[in-house]
Amino acid sequence: MTGTTVEGVAVLTGWGQGIQALPADATRAAAGRAVIPLGRPALEGERFRRATRECLLGVAAVDALLREHRISREVITGSATALIYVTGGAYGASNHAWVVADTARPAEPDDRPGERRRGSVSGTLHFPYTAPSVMSGEVAIEFGLTGPYGILIGGAAATVDGLWQATVLLEAGRCERALVLAVETFEDCAELYARGRWLVRRPLVEAAACVLLTPGGLRTRYDAPRAPSALETRVRTRAGETLACAPLIALALAREDGATGPVGVTGEWRGRRAGLYWH
Amino acid sequence: MTPFGADLDAFWSGLVTGSDGISAIERFPVDDLRVGRGGEIKKLRPLPGARRVGCRASQLLLAAAEDLLARSAVSAEPERIAVVLGTALGGVEELERALAPGGRPRHAVDALYDSPAHALARRLGARGPVMTVGAACAAGATAIGTGADLLRADVVDVVIAGGYDALCRFVMRGFDALRSLTRERVRPFDKRRSGLLLGEAAALVLMTREGATPGPRLGRLLGHASASDGSHIAAPDANGRGLELAARTALDEAGVTAAGVDFVRAHGTGTLVNDRIEADVLRRVLGRRASEIPVNSIKASVGHTMGAAAALEAVMCLMAGREGVVPKTLGLEEPDPACELDHVIGSPRAARPRISLSTSLGFGGCNAALVLEAVDQ
Repeated sequence: MTGTTVEGVAVLTGWGQGIQALPADATRAAAGRAVIPLGRPALEGERFRRATRECLLGVAAVDALLREHRISREVITGSATALIYVTGGAYGASNHAWVVADTARPAEPDDRPGERRRGSVSGTLHFPYTAPSVMSGEVAIEFGLTGPYGILIGGAAATVDGLWQATVLLEAGRCERALVLAVETFEDCAELYARGRWLVRRPLVEAAACVLLTPGGLRTRYDAPRAPSALETRVRTRAGETLACAPLIALALAREDGATGPVGVTGEWRGRRAGLYWH
Repeated sequence: MTPFGADLDAFWSGLVTGSDGISAIERFPVDDLRVGRGGEIKKLRPLPGARRVGCRASQLLLAAAEDLLARSAVSAEPERIAVVLGTALGGVEELERALAPGGRPRHAVDALYDSPAHALARRLGARGPVMTVGAACAAGATAIGTGADLLRADVVDVVIAGGYDALCRFVMRGFDALRSLTRERVRPFDKRRSGLLLGEAAALVLMTREGATPGPRLGRLLGHASASDGSHIAAPDANGRGLELAARTALDEAGVTAAGVDFVRAHGTGTLVNDRIEADVLRRVLGRRASEIPVNSIKASVGHTMGAAAALEAVMCLMAGREGVVPKTLGLEEPDPACELDHVIGSPRAARPRISLSTSLGFGGCNAALVLEAVDQ
């Protein structure tokens, strides 16, 4: 059994591309805004015409990883690359639209069956995109990823779980490399997040981030620390609330600091904190 | 927790007797949909404290947990107990309530897909990892596999794993619009198959390391794998590439060859495309043995229970090994030559499969396979 190494990280946030775009203090930079949105990436291709913004953000994050680290698409294509996708709530926008379409026009007594509750969202085109797995499915299609596949739902702790899963796959020889991808969007459900403010902090910052793990010399330890790591605190201060993207942003910050050896990330969600340490 | 009843015995009895768990949906409006039938659970007994749980998906899970805990004791420190659940829908029905006039803050939080898993963890007092696997209709299998990884890595001592999903208008409307639902009966692998019907269920297993706990066991997980198709968001890969990789990898991990497989539990949705592709994959993976290994699908019996399906079906595999009988594929009368396999048709088959291969597919190109071994108590 071998260890793993963090080969590269790419980060897109509502603040801009890369961690150099992060402000020193997200709360101050937000200036009272509840959500810092991330625009719809302009990706070419007929297939993307129908894809949701969150799908495109996932594709854009992987694309940025390959570009920034000068990795060709051919390297990751195929069954030797695992894809682990994590999100706390990026499915919210499509789910919201699907529900709203159903209730856009209340049923009336003289409605005939088949005429009731028809909204503007088409079922065949829209419904599949309500599934979280379709976001990662679009990424898999775009990059030809046909290897081990995992999808976790949750905030930062789930991403630490996802990073651990990737190391398990690599150490067991089930893949040659693993992409851990996280996407979070909030703008379309801002009002709902406002209601659940005991669960999420402010400002909510939309983000997409991707890390590439490969076999390497560092072993990992996966545990449940009580306190946040310095990196976790720093990500929250600089980026704001990015839910599942936070641990990947932490890895990017660690690399910016010049960390090539031991590094640890922690993440908290719903009262549970998980940690993964490369040592 | 299935349309057959609130415990494992009702589920198994319903399968063996060939009962039909499909009925007209009564809990929410379906009169504007092409199809208004499914595997709806008609009686959901209120549990102590269940008013605080609210969401139906969580209630199904807690009901399943009641049955599990009546059969198996959870003996581990709270920090060493994990909850790993698969789902296609999470608590999405609460989103409808959250967006309705007067929707409450609790509904908005309960609508998150991982809310039911946290509700179950709270109920069990589990303070280890709480994971929600969102691999659509393959999620239950991936959750069980992830649970095994947690045990193997000694992260925890006990895992409550499985899957769940509740029927709601959200998903009925979606599958109805996709024209995936049949107006006839569900007929997996049959010439006349015309689509699936959805169902609701929650299925849980208690997993520990080999020899860690005394008492009865239902079986062992020998191997598991998941794989992506990378070809279409809502349809399986035309050649079943991902499913084949998952099945082969799971068998490799288990150290089991085609010669060692006694039973195949197929995904078998009853859709034209799925069943043909799945049969092709099984013939390729099992080779000449494919015509000798009994195959069944239970989706005509309880509906396609989405995130619960693979977990429910894994339990069925182990029950078949324990009880010495393989339930028939309800609705299958005239096998499609394109789906030629050794289908269990007409009546249950007397067999005691020790090693089972269980395959699952889902939206987004998700595929998963489990290799299970039934054990004597």
